[in-house]
Amino acid sequence: MKIKTTRFGTITIEEEKIITMPFGMLGFPDVKRFVMLQHKEDSPFFWYQSVDDPMLAFVIMSPFLFKPDYNVDIENVLKEMSWNEEEKQNTLELYVVVNIPKGAPDKMTANLIGPILINNKIHQAVQMVISDSPYTHKFPLVREN
Amino acid sequence: MLILTRKLGEQITIGDDITITLLEIKGVQVKLGIKAPKSISIHRQEIYERIRKENLNSSEVSASDLSEATSIFHINRSKDK
Repeated sequence: MKIKTTRFGTITIEEEKIITMPFGMLGFPDVKRFVMLQHKEDSPFFWYQSVDDPMLAFVIMSPFLFKPDYNVDIENVLKEMSWNEEEKQNTLELYVVVNIPKGAPDKMTANLIGPILINNKIHQAVQMVISDSPYTHKFPLVREN
Repeated sequence: MLILTRKLGEQITIGDDITITLLEIKGVQVKLGIKAPKSISIHRQEIYERIRKENLNSSEVSASDLSEATSIFHINRSKDK
């Protein structure tokens, strides 16, 4: 299907690539369908583009690229979403939302307390809320030397 | 805002299926128990607010900043090796 985006113009995506978020992203509860577009070949970043709102795209990436020991408890979320637990090894992927202050990419941060858990088998996702954790919502992606 | 006074162990109901119980009072802290359908999300306000703001900011990232961020990320990682 074709979708309109302000950043990439009209693009064609396979329908099975559409990810549905029953509860949306926090602060954007009405936007429920997204598609992941790799920013560039070789880039760690993805645009998490809304299918229904051409203007809306978040930047996400795998937390394990910069924090290999990142660990969140997903048991409750699996229950809340009624996702099948047996398949979780192969079907679940975790991403974090990236924030880049305008004109200051060296100050980019990742939000480790609001990861997005994607279930690739049923093409659904949910943004988790991690409280009582050692993680920050502004984890620096560039280490100062 | 509706303001209600409750004693330890007493409850408040909201609508047909939300119940809040006052479980414990310790100095300036109170512990609440909340029972609600799973379709209703319940979060500590400050945590919710942080995530909401990060989402909002992320949705305003420009393509040029992201391209530059990609180079910076790669250079920074290669320094680690």
